[in-house]
Amino acid sequence: MQDARLRLFSVLLLSAATYLSVAGALLTLFWLFLYPGSLVSTVKSKALYILLPFTGIVALVMQIIGENGISYFIRIGILLLLAFTIFQGWTPGEFLDLAVWLFGTGIGFDIGLAIELTIQGIKDADQDWSRVLTAMKLKGMHPEFWNLASIGFLMIHLRLLRADDQADLLTTRGYKSGGSCCPHFEPSNRDIIASLCAILILLVSFTAVRDIFILMM
Amino acid sequence: MKLVLDRIIMKRGSWSCAADGILVPGIHLITGRVGSGKTTLAELICGLLEPTSGELVLDGISSWMLCQQFPEYHVIGATLEKEAQSYGIVPELALDRAGLTGRGGEDPFCLSRGELRKFQFSCLSLCDRDLFVWDEPYSALDCRQKQRVAQHLSTRSSGITILFTHEQRYFPKTDYLWEMCDGVLKYVGKVPEALPWWEHAPSHIRFLIGKGVIPANLTEEDLGEALCRMQG
Repeated sequence: MQDARLRLFSVLLLSAATYLSVAGALLTLFWLFLYPGSLVSTVKSKALYILLPFTGIVALVMQIIGENGISYFIRIGILLLLAFTIFQGWTPGEFLDLAVWLFGTGIGFDIGLAIELTIQGIKDADQDWSRVLTAMKLKGMHPEFWNLASIGFLMIHLRLLRADDQADLLTTRGYKSGGSCCPHFEPSNRDIIASLCAILILLVSFTAVRDIFILMM
Repeated sequence: MKLVLDRIIMKRGSWSCAADGILVPGIHLITGRVGSGKTTLAELICGLLEPTSGELVLDGISSWMLCQQFPEYHVIGATLEKEAQSYGIVPELALDRAGLTGRGGEDPFCLSRGELRKFQFSCLSLCDRDLFVWDEPYSALDCRQKQRVAQHLSTRSSGITILFTHEQRYFPKTDYLWEMCDGVLKYVGKVPEALPWWEHAPSHIRFLIGKGVIPANLTEEDLGEALCRMQG
C-alpha cells in the first residue's frame, strides 16, 4: 500500500475483524493476497516461524482446558501474518509523515521520530544478527544455546552505541523537540479499493459475531 | 590446491558481477574502483553469498578466512581477550602485536576504528588458513600500519592469499594480478610481466612503466629499486 494513512486505517479494521471472528480472519487472509509481494516476503520471514509455535502452544493449552484453541490459533496466526505483511510494506519516513499529519509538527513530529527510530532499530538488530552469524561462521563457530546470552548482550550493546550516535547526530542538527515536515501521500486506486474491502470485512466479522450471540441465546 | 571460479555471476537488479578463473597458491592482488564488485566477489569466494549462476570449487582447500572491510563486523566477544579467543588464538600474543598489552579486559567497541582494525589484523595474522581473503585490509590504517600489513601479507608463502583493494601505494610482494573492470574479473597476468597491462595501475607505477622501467614487484623496495634504475 502506497498511502500510509489508508494502510493504518485498513490494518486497524482488519486487526479488529481478525480478532473478532474466524470468518473475519479468513477474509483478512484473502485481503492479504491483494499485496502478493509483501505476503511472499512475510512467508519467507524467519521471525514469523519463531512466533507461530508460541501461538500454537497457547492454542493447544486452550484446547486442553476446553476453550476453542483452533479458533484462537487461526485468528492470532492471521493477525501475525497481517502485522508482518504490513511491516514489510513500510518505507523509511512514512510514520513520521503519518504522525505529523495526525498530530502536527510538535508532538506529532516527536512521536513520528520515535516510531521511525524504533523501527529502524528493529531493522538494524536484524542486520546485526546476520553480521554476528557471519562472524561466527568465519571463525568456525555456531550459535548455540550457551552463547545466546553473549550474542544477546552484544546486540543490546550495539543498539545502545547506535542510539548514542543517533542522539549526538540529532543534537548536532539542533533537534530539541518538534520539527518541520511536509507529509506527502499518494493514494492509488488499489489502496482505496483495499480500504473499502477492509471496511466490508469488519462488517462481515461483526455480523458473524452477532450471529454467534443469537445462536447462543 | 586451487580455487576455481567457474563462470560465477552475481546479479542484484541491474547490477552484476562476473568471475571466471583459477587461483593457485600464491598472492593474488585484485584491484578495482569503488563499486566494481570487489567485496561481493570476496563474499562469494568465502561462501557468504550464493552466486546467481556458476560454481565455486575449493579444490584441496580445507580452511579459509575472510578479513571483512569493516573490523566491527568481526566482533563477537565482549572484551578484547574474548574476541581474540574467538579466533582460537592466544589473546596476549594478539594484544602485544596490536600494541594493546594489558588492555584485554576492554570493550572492543571502545577502541577507535583504526585500533580495532589493528587488533583484528593481529588476530588474523596469527591464524593459519589454506585460503585467506583480505577485503580492503588497509582501511582505517595510517601509512605505518599499511606498510606493516603489506609486509605481513608478503610473508604468507603457503596457501592462496587474495587481496582485494583500491590501495595505490602499499602492496605486498604479489604473484598474480587481477582487475575488476565494470563488474567483471579480468586476469592481467603474473607480476612483473603483467604490470604494463595493468589498466588501473597507480600513477607512480604507470610513470615508471612509461619511462621503460618495469619494477620487479610492487613492494616499496621494488619500486624504490626501479626508480634508482630509471635515474641511473
